[in-house]
Amino acid sequence: MEFKKTQLSNGLNIIGEINKKAKSSAVGYFVKTGARDETMEINGVSHFLEHMLFKGTDKLSAFEVNEAFDRTGAQFNAFTSEEMTVFYAAVLPEYLCEVTDLWSHLMRPSLRDDDFNMEKNVIKEEIAMYQDLPNFDVMDRCRSMHFEGHPCGHSVLGSVESIDKLSAVQMRSYFNNRYAPNNMTLTVVGNFEWDKVTDLAQSLCNKWQKQPVSRETSHFEGSFKKQRIIKANLASEHICLISSGVSAQDPRRFAAHLLATIIGDTCGSRYFWELVDKAIAQCAYMQYAPMDGTGALYSYFQCNKENANTVIEKTNKIFSEISGKGVTEDELTKAKNKILSSLVIKNELPMGRLVDVGFNWIYNSEYLTVEQDMDAIRQVSTEDIKLLIDDIQPAQYTHFSIGPE
Amino acid sequence: MTVKFDKYILNNGMVIVGEPMESVRSAAFGFSIPAGASVLDEGCCGAANIIEDWIFRGAGERDSRQLSDELDGLGLHRSSSIGSSHLSLGAALESTNLEKAVGLYADIILKPKLEDDQFELAKELSIQSITALDDDPRQKVMLILRELFYPQPLGISNIGHMEDIEKLGADKVRDILKNNFNPSGTIFSVAGKYDFDNVVKQLESVFETNEKLAKKEIATKPAVNKYTHLHNEGAQVHIGLMTKTVPPTDKDIYNARAALAVLSGGMSARLFTEVREKRGLCYAIGARYHGLKDTAGIMCYAGTTPEKAQQTLDTIITEFNRLKEGITEEEIQRAKVGLKSSLILSSESTSSRAGSIASDHYLLGRIRSLDEIKEKIEEVSVKSIQNFLEKNIFEDFTIVTIGPKEVKI
Repeated sequence: MEFKKTQLSNGLNIIGEINKKAKSSAVGYFVKTGARDETMEINGVSHFLEHMLFKGTDKLSAFEVNEAFDRTGAQFNAFTSEEMTVFYAAVLPEYLCEVTDLWSHLMRPSLRDDDFNMEKNVIKEEIAMYQDLPNFDVMDRCRSMHFEGHPCGHSVLGSVESIDKLSAVQMRSYFNNRYAPNNMTLTVVGNFEWDKVTDLAQSLCNKWQKQPVSRETSHFEGSFKKQRIIKANLASEHICLISSGVSAQDPRRFAAHLLATIIGDTCGSRYFWELVDKAIAQCAYMQYAPMDGTGALYSYFQCNKENANTVIEKTNKIFSEISGKGVTEDELTKAKNKILSSLVIKNELPMGRLVDVGFNWIYNSEYLTVEQDMDAIRQVSTEDIKLLIDDIQPAQYTHFSIGPE
Repeated sequence: MTVKFDKYILNNGMVIVGEPMESVRSAAFGFSIPAGASVLDEGCCGAANIIEDWIFRGAGERDSRQLSDELDGLGLHRSSSIGSSHLSLGAALESTNLEKAVGLYADIILKPKLEDDQFELAKELSIQSITALDDDPRQKVMLILRELFYPQPLGISNIGHMEDIEKLGADKVRDILKNNFNPSGTIFSVAGKYDFDNVVKQLESVFETNEKLAKKEIATKPAVNKYTHLHNEGAQVHIGLMTKTVPPTDKDIYNARAALAVLSGGMSARLFTEVREKRGLCYAIGARYHGLKDTAGIMCYAGTTPEKAQQTLDTIITEFNRLKEGITEEEIQRAKVGLKSSLILSSESTSSRAGSIASDHYLLGRIRSLDEIKEKIEEVSVKSIQNFLEKNIFEDFTIVTIGPKEVKI
């Protein structure tokens, strides 16, 4: 493994981890923009833009873009979160340059009106699809309530109303600022030739204009509000709790990851033994979401409506025990083993590696090998976790439920 | 890229297959046990789902907690699934712990505690998972689709039927387990970093038996195959559609795969282009191959708001029918590159390889090398696909919808 980095004069970062033994490579443009960088007036524009980039350039139609990707056999797609828009492809090494070339062109899209109007339909279908996924819906609503008044509470998809009102002019103006080269990182991992990639980026991206770009990154504790809504067509109760967490820059993020695993991994965790093993909840887990300048611990439960109160009581008890006594050595060791092996498995695929390498660089301007990431996990002690619990107080949470009448 | 596969067969017929992979530190393994949803006793739909939970609630000398702690201590990532023919239990982990993990799984399979009080919990969770399906219409529509499409009971729900599962008692499920957890029909597969001799020795010492049990024949009834709509006041109509094609053993399988890739391979494929890009009808639209040993279908899903449901369905069926009118050379080239590329990309994952070699062995009786598959894909041409489509027209569609509005067939 060899790490390489460079920066073009306009601020575009290019980073790469070369692994000559890999059978494939993966490439991605990481654009540091997402729902938290929007105003409510244009809510959903980052995600809509992600769709629009596939619609082509002045020289390529949408169909030609799809054709060009498919000719290389690439597995390509994109995703948008509250704070990042990532365009990626996993591909055989012989096609890496062709795919990087294509993505580089697409980063300067034409954003045509007729494509914009047609794609509005698709975006609204995507919003409808997630409305039929209550596990997603409850997390989304809970996040908005938790981060009330903070931009991290903006919905990634936006609403049917905000999408209806959004104009192509507003989108272009947002694009011109947020897709500045100094707000983007080109990441390449796996089996590839570094010089070829940088030459290509140099020739295609050098004319992109640097822009002043900023983001509000203050920490936010959370609103700690509580709400339940009824959806008559549901059969089960869906519950989301959000506690405060540490940021993606915080050295305690490794401890936070372990804490979430101890409390709420899908098997062998405290949630598992108290709720799932006893058949009180059909599903219970906790996930740590590190973000730019802030963070959160998300808990999700699915259970019969009659069990909803018991789930909350048991969860409160778990939080209060953890806050009092911390976690045991034994629990910590198990959680470490799980995370370590998942790091090994995930990073054996260039596609899995791409996201870790890219995010590490964007949040912390540092490169960590898989081994360094694993060491950081190994070094966390029960004392570190106790200090983290004392600081973030997971027992305080925002609570949102959706369920039947 | 020549890979040698490992293979060993115990006297009782249990098959052990392996694929060594260079430059990985992980290993993935799986036991495919002949206790899938369709082979269990009639009227017991959901028993496999209970079994999958119950056997992890204590095995050998360990109670539920000790067993789980030991599994977690090895850092293994469990995966289990219930198919039509097999119940599969497996895991991926750092290869140094492989032997211990296989040992634990052997106990889970051969010496589960199966205590009565634990049965009630496993059953309650299985009941909840059937209820949970009501809140996941996309998954539910595909589950019902398979039930209606295949000759019964081959496509039967792997989650269970409420009326069956409520009647199941611990003794009945113990019997089902005893009759179906049969080493003779079990396939063990491993991929990644492992020592095959050690694996064989370990499995032989615990799974070898003198009796070779006969394979169970499943009597089938004709498929129901009629349009089914379930009303649900959700945001979308979830459309599932399935039509017959050749099974995995057929000589035309690569033609079928390539034809399907033209229809729904990459984003330039026809369904995505016609339904989503040109008409904006859906966000989620796609079709994939679903094959059992002797019968198979192409499964298509689309989710759309009620007023667009009819047009979505009509556009999809038009695209199925339009395939036989001709396919361009460029479409075939893209389909072939896509098939080959996804084959190689997935070959870097130990879990994916462990799954593939087990399924190859079950479906074909042998493991195909990547080179062989690549060659077969290479042989596909416009002409061969056209010949295939002439013999295998898509004429009958099994259709299921869930949502606020029905469609007209």
